[in-house]
Amino acid sequence: MPHQRFPRVQMLHIAPHEIKFILSDTDTSVANTLRRIMIAETPTLAIDLVEFSENTTVLNDEYIAHRLGLIPIRYQPADSIKGGDCNGAFLPHRECVCYERCPRCSVEFELDVSFDEVNPHRAEEELMAPLTVSSQDLKSNNENVRPAHFSSEEEQEEAQDAGVAIVKMGPGQRLKLKAVARMGIAKEHSKWSPVAVATYRFWPVITINEEQVATLTMEQKQELVDVCPDRILEIDDVTGSIKASENAWDTATYTDDLEFFQNSLKKRKEDEDFVKCKQSTDRFIFSVESTGAMDADEIVMSALRVLKDRLNHLAQEVESLKDM
Amino acid sequence: MNAPERSSSFLLDEDAGEQKCVYTADTKVTNAGTFRFNKEDHTVGNLLRMQLLRDPNIQTNNSTVAPVEVLSSAIEDLANETDHLITQFQEAMESWKRENDAELNAQF
Repeated sequence: MPHQRFPRVQMLHIAPHEIKFILSDTDTSVANTLRRIMIAETPTLAIDLVEFSENTTVLNDEYIAHRLGLIPIRYQPADSIKGGDCNGAFLPHRECVCYERCPRCSVEFELDVSFDEVNPHRAEEELMAPLTVSSQDLKSNNENVRPAHFSSEEEQEEAQDAGVAIVKMGPGQRLKLKAVARMGIAKEHSKWSPVAVATYRFWPVITINEEQVATLTMEQKQELVDVCPDRILEIDDVTGSIKASENAWDTATYTDDLEFFQNSLKKRKEDEDFVKCKQSTDRFIFSVESTGAMDADEIVMSALRVLKDRLNHLAQEVESLKDM
Repeated sequence: MNAPERSSSFLLDEDAGEQKCVYTADTKVTNAGTFRFNKEDHTVGNLLRMQLLRDPNIQTNNSTVAPVEVLSSAIEDLANETDHLITQFQEAMESWKRENDAELNAQF
């Protein structure tokens, strides 16, 4: 029986739009699988079908439909303010028993903006200026589902727009359409990806050969510390020896400056290295940033559930082979 | 014109009777064979491969164990590891929220 691993998780930072955590005591394959699922196989909602009633704007139908598809759609369950996992609340449209679409597998949005109707109500300075049709103009038929206008609170405060810009209109132009959003995964089209960034770095393992370091002068030690652009080393005030700096794990980018420089310090080429910085094989620093459709921690949880379901499904299939 | 549907990269071709997993026993070696997983990629593939390489039965080419058993115990271990990860993740979130500003947590 191969041993089961018992991974550990430690949170570094949790915010609605991003999450950073340390995953340890597990293999790179697990970290990579989790990353791949977060990017490509976590289900989300996105506009998939668009019916145009009127489009006299400067952008053609399919251009606008493409832009609508890329708008992140946020599912917020009735009792929470978090961008939640839509996986339980909706059915994939291929599995739904309805004829074409129904509230169980899709959400309908309506957009009707006419420059001539909106213009008279605008402020003095803006009269006759181009009108931006934004994601705020999309009206949903499901009160728990609406477009994510901004990816984070910060962005909302700093922005001058009302939401995601779809098209800009001038006098006499009108855009009237019906859009249907369905659940899908990014493997089918990247509009369904819930993350802006999902990545992991390796934890640095810095080993210092005390004996060798003791043979260096103070100036040589200082040079060794300064040669690394990431500043992962520092000189200990008390002992005068080299040690890893506190933020080494955050700043390390595994450049080879240290390695090359040490060759010039060594008396013989075959001598041991003074300092070695390697990538850990079982400790990873994850950083996940959401597009606004789901909260970052929900994305990770959803990815883990997708992985669990996938493995259970595979286990069943392999079990059925045993009976043959 | 010739482009296949995007969904065909991850959905099984039901009309052609495609199964998720197909096993072909090796003709020349006892208790050895090839598993073919349809419509899967490195996401699950690499995960399974690394887990199988940790199995002592595989490392020593032990030919007394049935391949299906080996694979099934590898998948089971991975599923248990995932379950463990889920609880660890939830606990880590709880403890982070407890340690940080109670006011901040009001938005969760």
